[in-house]
Amino acid sequence: MRRPGPLALTCCDPLAAVTNATARIILICSGKGGVGKTTLTANLGIALAQLGQRTVVLDADFGLRNLDLLLGLENRIIYTAQELLAGSCRLEQALVKHKQQPNLALMPAGNPRMLEWLTPEDMRTVANLVAERADYVLIDCPAGVEQGFKNAAAACHEAIVITTPEMSAVRDADRVIGLLNSQGIQPIQLVLNRVRPRMVANQEMMSVADVTDLLALPLLGLVVEDEQVIVSTNRGEPLTLNGNGSPAARAYHNVARRLRGEQVPLHDPTRERRGLRARLLNKLGMAGN
Amino acid sequence: MAAALIPAREGDPSPHLLRLPPQAGAASALEEVRFGLGSTALRGSLQLDCGDWALDCRELRQLSEMLGGRGLALRSVTATCPTTLVAASALGLQNLWAEQPLVGTAETWPTPEGLAGAAVPGLAREPLLIHQGTLRSGDHLQAEGTVLVLGDVNPGARVSAGGHVLVWGRLRGVAHAGRRGDRGARIVALQLRPLQLRIADLVARGPEDPPPAGLAEEALLEGDEIRIEPARATWPLD
Repeated sequence: MRRPGPLALTCCDPLAAVTNATARIILICSGKGGVGKTTLTANLGIALAQLGQRTVVLDADFGLRNLDLLLGLENRIIYTAQELLAGSCRLEQALVKHKQQPNLALMPAGNPRMLEWLTPEDMRTVANLVAERADYVLIDCPAGVEQGFKNAAAACHEAIVITTPEMSAVRDADRVIGLLNSQGIQPIQLVLNRVRPRMVANQEMMSVADVTDLLALPLLGLVVEDEQVIVSTNRGEPLTLNGNGSPAARAYHNVARRLRGEQVPLHDPTRERRGLRARLLNKLGMAGN
Repeated sequence: MAAALIPAREGDPSPHLLRLPPQAGAASALEEVRFGLGSTALRGSLQLDCGDWALDCRELRQLSEMLGGRGLALRSVTATCPTTLVAASALGLQNLWAEQPLVGTAETWPTPEGLAGAAVPGLAREPLLIHQGTLRSGDHLQAEGTVLVLGDVNPGARVSAGGHVLVWGRLRGVAHAGRRGDRGARIVALQLRPLQLRIADLVARGPEDPPPAGLAEEALLEGDEIRIEPARATWPLD
């Protein structure tokens, strides 16, 4: 006989009773799909939680929700933002606490069919509710600039725009930054994802300078292309969770530290000398991206 | 032929009934309802019988808003079309599966009393809802009685039923049997590897290990624990 796993019905957080009006509500968006919004949200959430910050990741991608999958929490969801909005469950019931990192909780997206009638006010309500229990609220924005994006943007104070060094992704990011600016969202910071140093060196890919020139945003982090990201996605264990020393994991940790205001030097891997010493340092995890 | 409005009897707490005409030769649902209401002064809660109409979220919401503007609160929906049921459940409306497509004239339709009797939750009295096709991520099929899915239930999809959940295929999403509290309800699948199982008010994560090949399994409540066993050879509706 096979045994199904038990599931605690209450996800109540003992730390959580204190109201916190100063929570930072951060939108993670890109415009284009598939550039790494959800991956960044999951990894940044874990990294911030490891730094002792109470963090809630909020899945605003109602249509194509994936954040639960990346965090490995898919089978623990009982209530969603939909039930919370309808008043049929309490906040503590809807928040799914991460099994290994208790500082992190997920607010799952509701039924995809709810998308059609979700309003910006609804998102604001949910974000403000979870903000009472957190230091950081990360909102995983859907791709595109339509209703889903508008809903998510209405709920946030600041934003992280993530893009890859491809013309189409940068163009979309630029459009999104324009929309965020028009809504008065400040600050907006940039994370450059899936950089391939060798291709940049051969001038086959846009360089970091090309992208920052165009978008004119402070660079919060630089993530090199890393196969480990795919492995971790399929396992439902974010890279930052297990002290994984892979280049992408280090980059996500650094993003979290910079977000908190720490001064972490940013090295451009594309300008790095490819000498033995540089490679050794890289292996030892001394170089920060 | 416009929608038929059947007011609840004086002092009866059950909702008024509004029945859409057969879809063939009808205008839009919104027009039929508007015409059917006429200038009625009726107020209160309302049950909408959609018959064989396939209505999506948008149409149901429009109907609900229009009725709300007339002082009628749309509370529940009955339909024979799964599309309409799925849309109604997404809007948070109580939804019931009607026994058979309603055809004919107003005189031959069942009385509201008869329909209300059929809507009492219970395994034996509820008809079997058969859904043919794969339920994909994001789909949510809801039924009052027992539901039979002829196809797979993929990860991210949900099936919930007042009675049993029977899957003639692979169950890899979330299944909820006995959602009105029936602890005797069971979840049966040709291949049972769900993300999550719910029976009545109990929840369990699906097992980590894959099921034995070629063995149909069922989940049922024993005490306060959901257990998985090889499926019984008998039809579970006895």
